[in-house]
Amino acid sequence: MGFDIRLPIGMMFTVFGVLVGGYGVATRGDEMYTRHSLGLNVNLWWGMVMLLFGAAMLLLARHGTAAARSAKTLNSEEN
Amino acid sequence: MRPHPHWIDYSIIGIYFTFVLGIGFVLKKYMKTSADFFLSGRSIPAWITGLAFLSANLGAQEVIGMGASGAKYGIMTSHFYWVGAIPAMVFVGLFMMPFYYGSRARSVPEYLKLRFDEKTRGLNAISFAVMTVFSSGVSMYAMGKLLQLLLGWDFNVAIVVSALIVLVYTFLGGLTSAIYNEVLQFFLIVIGFIPLTYLGLRDAGGWDGLKARIGNDAMVHSWKYLGSPSANPMGVEWFSMLMGLGFVLSFGYWCTDFLVVQRAMAADSMTSARRTPLIAAFPKMLFPFLVILPGMIAGVVSAASMGGNAPASAVVARGTSGEISLQGGKGIIPPKVDESGNPLVKDGKVVLDYDLATPMMLVRYFPSGLLGLGLCALMASFMSGMAGNTTAFNSVWTYDIYQGYINKTASDQHYLWMGRAATVFGLAIAVAAAYIARQFNNIMDVLQLVFAFVNAPLFATFLLGMFWKRATGNGAFCGLLGGTAAAALHHGLTLPTGSATGVKGGFLGVVVHQYPSEMAQNFWTAIFAWTTCFSVTILISLVTKPRPDTELQGLVYALTDRPKDVGLSWYQRPAVLAVVVLTMLVVLNWIFW
Repeated sequence: MGFDIRLPIGMMFTVFGVLVGGYGVATRGDEMYTRHSLGLNVNLWWGMVMLLFGAAMLLLARHGTAAARSAKTLNSEEN
Repeated sequence: MRPHPHWIDYSIIGIYFTFVLGIGFVLKKYMKTSADFFLSGRSIPAWITGLAFLSANLGAQEVIGMGASGAKYGIMTSHFYWVGAIPAMVFVGLFMMPFYYGSRARSVPEYLKLRFDEKTRGLNAISFAVMTVFSSGVSMYAMGKLLQLLLGWDFNVAIVVSALIVLVYTFLGGLTSAIYNEVLQFFLIVIGFIPLTYLGLRDAGGWDGLKARIGNDAMVHSWKYLGSPSANPMGVEWFSMLMGLGFVLSFGYWCTDFLVVQRAMAADSMTSARRTPLIAAFPKMLFPFLVILPGMIAGVVSAASMGGNAPASAVVARGTSGEISLQGGKGIIPPKVDESGNPLVKDGKVVLDYDLATPMMLVRYFPSGLLGLGLCALMASFMSGMAGNTTAFNSVWTYDIYQGYINKTASDQHYLWMGRAATVFGLAIAVAAAYIARQFNNIMDVLQLVFAFVNAPLFATFLLGMFWKRATGNGAFCGLLGGTAAAALHHGLTLPTGSATGVKGGFLGVVVHQYPSEMAQNFWTAIFAWTTCFSVTILISLVTKPRPDTELQGLVYALTDRPKDVGLSWYQRPAVLAVVVLTMLVVLNWIFW
């Protein structure tokens, strides 16, 4: 019903990935990483993971919509 | 010790809110009939209903409560998943969904009406509606309190804002909106919690390091110490674990609670409906690693690395503006404090605020940026639970109470309108309940106890209803009442060791048995309730008149065609999924034996 839920999920995580990853780049070497995350720049790393996940969801959504559309055309041609 | 979120953290939370509301707004135009609003037009694919099935249950109790339980009892908490959820999820998918979905009932109480009679449905619908709004209120209260304590946010603002957001998206997009958002929230919770477990485990030195630091073998094995209640921290033994939690409570929840079953009813086909709980079982099985492990880790890591002065040295009064002091706590779990900010002591031991275990982990390991994501995940869990309750309530109210007893012949548009109205007043009552919970903690404890009595016998009724065609409406109704009475009686005559009589038990004046723990008492209450309901239903059914077979087609096992899975690859079939789930379950139990 409605739209493909993978679309907003993909969009949100892409935005999160860019935002958090970008923040990670901007705060490289910040002491908060030693204080909190064992010296790992988790923003950068996890931002990249979220970006990948978001992009994958967007791709799947696009693929899914295309498939649904061609199935529809096929059906209407048969009728 | 309090985090100070930056602009980046607030931006993440803001973006999340925008998407959640956006989904509601986009779906508004698809809500044309009441079936669209309450049942998503029965058009949702299995993977979506599956994740929503899981997410709707993933409320505050789950993330906060399972972390707390992990800190208290260790890996034994995984029984709430591996014993207390997965087998029941497999059962409802394989054996019960054919009747729920196949009968075209629009709700669980409506199934009871089709199978038994009006009074059984009424009893179930009314008790379910009341319980749903109140438990929604209790979790709202928990969230408000947590955000206030952790971030210094205003209690009123936290409650009103989250209730308003849930209101808007369920009001506009009905069940579809709730389900879509549950899927979004599912991914957010998983992606928000994976780094927490990773960083925590890394800090503690992996699973072996964690085991060594905990230093209590009974907390790192799930079965080994279940031989006797005195050997394990939960104070339960294997029989009540398997029968009480694994059978009565677990099947009673996963197989009969409309909150979760509603997700499967929205599926696009019978096969999808049956696959819904099975698909949910895969992530569910792995959730202990995301929600229990952080709690266990919280008890053994130190906050010392968090900057020059160990925060533990700072003694601060806790109030609306005070910070959380770790002094006297364990690991990074703070003690509970009295009104003047001093740690609470009971029997010479500091009382720990276990509910803060997981939130403190977020504060400890997440720098700004990831902190926003973690807080989002926390709020997502609260909101998905709240939305689940709201959509279940508005369906039961509209179909089973309003259409059932108040206005039977209105137009479909009127029921759609009523569903939206129920969304508004359901949430309004929940907010009121949150404030009652804040004012009078005891009232809520009593209410939750009563709910437990009502829920305990339910599965016996459904089991007999679906698999024994001789079961009658009078039998079911008496069985439910008898089971609830048995639960109250058992609870009133027993007491967990060391508790005062009252809400904890013994309120009937005589204590005939002492249980080693509250959990053991609860499991046995459930066992008594179920057994009573089961026996009473059979006895009364045998002396009352059964319904003719023709009326029970599609409602009872013996009179229903076995569902066929057409057009599915072998690995997509429910039976195959079930075998894979159960195999993984055995392996997990084996590893953490």
